[in-house]
Order: sequence, then structure tokens, then C-alpha cells
Amino acid sequence: MGGVVSSLFGSGEDAGTESEPSRLLKFSSSARWQLHYNEIKESNKLMVVDFSASWCGPCRMIEPTIHAMADKFTDVDFVKLDVDELPDVAKEFNVTGMPTFVLIKKGKEIERIIGAKKDELESKVSKLRA
Amino acid sequence: MSVPGFEGFEKRLELRFFDDDNSITSNPMGLRLIDFESLDQVLNEVQCTVVSAVANRSFDAYVLSESSLFVYPTKIIIKTCGTTQLLKSIRPLIHLARNLGLTLRACRYSRGSFIFPKAQPFPYTSFKDEVLVVEESLPKSLCYRKASVMTPSNNPSRAWHVFTASADVESDEPVVVVEVCMTELDRVNARSFFKRKGDEKSNSDSAGKEMTRLSGIDNINANAFICDFAFDPCGYSMNGVDGDRYSTIHVTPEDGFSYGSFECGLSLYDDGHEDISEVLSRAIDVFRPSDVSIATTYGGEEYNHEVTKRVERVLAKKLGLKCRSRLMDVFPGSGTVVYQSFTPRRK
Repeated sequence: MGGVVSSLFGSGEDAGTESEPSRLLKFSSSARWQLHYNEIKESNKLMVVDFSASWCGPCRMIEPTIHAMADKFTDVDFVKLDVDELPDVAKEFNVTGMPTFVLIKKGKEIERIIGAKKDELESKVSKLRA
Repeated sequence: MSVPGFEGFEKRLELRFFDDDNSITSNPMGLRLIDFESLDQVLNEVQCTVVSAVANRSFDAYVLSESSLFVYPTKIIIKTCGTTQLLKSIRPLIHLARNLGLTLRACRYSRGSFIFPKAQPFPYTSFKDEVLVVEESLPKSLCYRKASVMTPSNNPSRAWHVFTASADVESDEPVVVVEVCMTELDRVNARSFFKRKGDEKSNSDSAGKEMTRLSGIDNINANAFICDFAFDPCGYSMNGVDGDRYSTIHVTPEDGFSYGSFECGLSLYDDGHEDISEVLSRAIDVFRPSDVSIATTYGGEEYNHEVTKRVERVLAKKLGLKCRSRLMDVFPGSGTVVYQSFTPRRK
């Protein structure tokens, strides 16, 4: 410890502002989430599902990063689900720690990251989007 | 040593707030509602930053560039090492809590003895100065105050410093806090906490995961989810999350000033969880240090001498560590504190 810290969290970025529509999709209803999920399943697109909650500090912390990633990786589908709004989906995906990022391709979970792990998430999304 | 190495010994601050106001009924998440930008600003004052984080229904756990931060609805714990300015966080945190309608109930500041005391900035050069700074930052409602330095006769340079201030004489905190400080870590074991050559491409999150596995830290509490982080070129931190129980480990592996800490909050009488002696034994075994001190704060729990003796028995039997000193003191609003020092039997 005491060496260089390569990844820092801060509120510097201005991602996902009011003027631009965010590429991050949010679903508050199980039905609409299911529809979207079935749609993406047919394609070869990587989907990143961000399970979070309004009261989860680390979730709020990483939110600007997720918006930025959604803007950067335009070939990847980014979805945000609130565990209080969709408790059945959270349970289905066995979400305990938060945020939990589930990476899905062709309807199958291929990777999961638990915690606000910026570098790991970016590196995995970058690797698995092809 | 002419040039000091990194100071592993942490300063620890715990702030507890009243939970029987209207505020908690209307906002059960309490302190967790503090926005991240505000928290980040406080950490900036302290001279540290968040490098990783995870949360569950009970609390938020942040790994910092210099240790850890835990945010519960009515309790905040910050632990920082190096030459951080931890006490600068007191006033802003009280202010942020007040904005959420939360009133301060108790404050506890504690630390061991620095390996490089002269390298610390004011007021950390003298515990009396630290106490003065804490006192000035607290409201008068916290009228029960005590400062104490617990000094083992066998090793006076490894004392335990505690300052507590509370609005109540008795604590009702059901959590017992155990803080383990280890120095002179086994060199081979310490190697796990250096990033491997050619590992520069792997990010700190995955390198951290590897260190958790390699060192055996993942075996200390099988139930805990671990949020880990590896520093460049060496060093490691983790927060463990198990229901409403936290645990945290920080490692400075460099020879000459190696240091490892293990802390957890737990209930002594929870049948679902394992005996604290076994947990401590596994944690200390990761490091095989030549010097261990354990500070146990009982909070609202009644002091249990059996637990103290059992810890000494288990450490002696399993790790060959002999208890050289055992000190006790009682703090209003904070409970009994037991401070034990251990060194290997052969020494």
C-alpha cells in the first residue's frame, strides 16, 4: 500500500446529463424486462445487467461510470434493474451483494461481477462484447 | 531508519447516531443516504479515496486507498493508515448526518502505536493532541468522555490508545469489535501480497482476488463475500460482508515495516457463526507474525473472561503464540476494552 492507485472514483465526469438521452435502459416492470430480455436473447449482443438499489452507496458511486461505459460501448446493451422494484428478478438472478453486474449473451450468464469494480467491469465488457 | 517506510498502523474512528428519532422511521437507510460526492469530499479532507466498494441490505463497505469505510444506517466506521488526517472527517460527517436528521450519540477514536511516529503530521504526533482535536470537534451533548493509553509492561512501544465520548453511560451496541494488529509478518506469507512481475496488465480487482485466494484469506470466514483490492507494486485490502457483519484486512507486506490488520464486528453468542477464537486463529495464521496485539471492545455486551482465556488458549495451541500481557479498561458508552499482546513461544 502507499503506491500509485490506478483507478479512482470521483464525480468529475458529466456522463448521462439531462440534454443527452442515456444509453442505459431502465426497467421498472418485470413484464417489460422479460420482453427486452427475450428480444436480446435472439441476437449475439452482450447485455450488461446492473442490479442496484436507491439506498446502495456503492451503486450510486459507480453510476456515472456505467453511463460512460454505455456511451462508449455502443454495441453492448446496458440495463439497470432496481432490486426493490423487481425483487423477483433479483431473486431469480441470486443477487446478494450490490451492485451486481450480470453479463449475458444469447440468454446465458457468461460473467458476473459483484461490487463497484470499475476496472474489472470495463475489462470484462471490452473482452466479451465481440 | 532514516527514511520511514509506509505506516501500516491505522487510526480508527467510529461515530454512532441515535436511531430513535423520527428520522429513522421515515428514512430507515439513515447515513446510507449521504450522497457519494459528499462522502468523497470528506475522504478528500482525510487524504484518501475509494478504490472499490460493495453493499448489501445492511451496510455499504468501501475499500479506500488507505484502508476502509463502513456506512450503516446509524453508524460509520472509518479506518485509515499512512499519514492520513482522519480526525478532519469528524465535523463534516456530523454535519452531513444532521442534514438527514440524525443526532450524534457516541464517538470512539482508537489506534495502536505507530511504527514511524515521527513521520506523522500534527496532531498525530501525540495522543494528547489527538484527544484535544477530537474533543473540539464534538458537541457538548457527548458528556461522558474518557481517554486512556493501555501500555503493556513487556512492550511499552506497542500501546493501545482509546478516546471515547458518549451521550450515555452505558452502550447498547450489540456488536463486539475485535481489532488485531500484526507486525513482522512471515516473509514467505507476505510474498502473496506483492503483485507478480508481468502482472501489470491484470487490473487491481483481479489481482486482489488472486491474493485473497493465494493467501488463504477466503478461508477465514466462508460465509463472507469479499471485496478485495491489490495495490501497486504491493499491498492489499479487503472488506468482508456477511449479513450485517463486517470484517476488514489490510496488508503492508514490505520487509522492515511489514504490517497486517484484521478487524471484525460480531456477536459472541450467535450460534450460527463460528467461535471467535477459531476465526482469529485462521486470520493470524495467514500472516504468521512475530508480534500480535488484539484489542476487543465489548460495547453493550458484558465482559466475558472465558472468551479472553479461550482466545489465549487457541492461539497458544494452534499458532504457538504466548500471551505476554493482558490489560483491561472500561469506557463509558463504549464498554470494556481488553488489550492482549502475543509473541511466539520460542522468543
